[in-house]
Amino acid sequence: MSPLSAIPQATYNFGTMPDMDAARPNTLPTPGVQGPSPLSQPGEVTPGQSSGDSFGNVLGKLISDVNTKQNAATAAVDGLQSGQAVPLHQAVIAMEEANVSFQLMVEVRNKLLDSYQEMMRMQI
Amino acid sequence: MIQPLSGIQNTVAALDAERTRMDVISQNIANANTTHGVDGKPYQRKVVVFENALQQAMGSGNNGSMTPQLRVARIESDHRAPIEVYEPGNPDADSRGMVATPNINIHEEMADLISASRTFEANLAVVKNEKSMAMQTLSIGKH
Repeated sequence: MSPLSAIPQATYNFGTMPDMDAARPNTLPTPGVQGPSPLSQPGEVTPGQSSGDSFGNVLGKLISDVNTKQNAATAAVDGLQSGQAVPLHQAVIAMEEANVSFQLMVEVRNKLLDSYQEMMRMQI
Repeated sequence: MIQPLSGIQNTVAALDAERTRMDVISQNIANANTTHGVDGKPYQRKVVVFENALQQAMGSGNNGSMTPQLRVARIESDHRAPIEVYEPGNPDADSRGMVATPNINIHEEMADLISASRTFEANLAVVKNEKSMAMQTLSIGKH
């Protein structure tokens, strides 16, 4: 990947996709730099991204999915503890599923923060 | 909906089915000496019948993967004849002094119980492995 050739069309568009190719430091909104300003064209689609959900939507859906799983696990455990006919293995598996989903979400968040911090450490 | 543990639904269904099978076996063992049921006859051994059913609750999001899922079709009675035992003192004895005891062989039930327990264990091992694979995958790139 050539760092300089793609500068004009590369767009720093964090709200759409954390694409490392698209997130070059040279395209930060510095006055006098050629190329599209990232804030003036928020709707621009980076190469390789289908015009579907924005990354924010995908992340929001992931979080609400994790929340659903956590609620399901809580309901199963509540049912078990209040003497309803919830099998033990279903409650435990619901908890494990919620746990793994949560770990996945935390992992995604860590990656996002890592890339953000990496970007902030970059020298311009 | 995200499925961090893929294919776990099949395992959960199998666990449910084996659980039911264990319940039926324990009922058989508990009633091994019941000579007088609610209908006046000796208890009849119960058997579970498993079947595959296509799962309908998968939704359209999971590229239409219709995998057959195990479930208990029905619980039927074993139609073998009751075992006749000579016990003239028993109130349920007939004129010849024979008592009809349930058609349950305790050794058969124990073998069934072990089989159900081992199958349950195998499915639990699947869950365990599934989870460990997911957690190991999540730790890609960590050092």
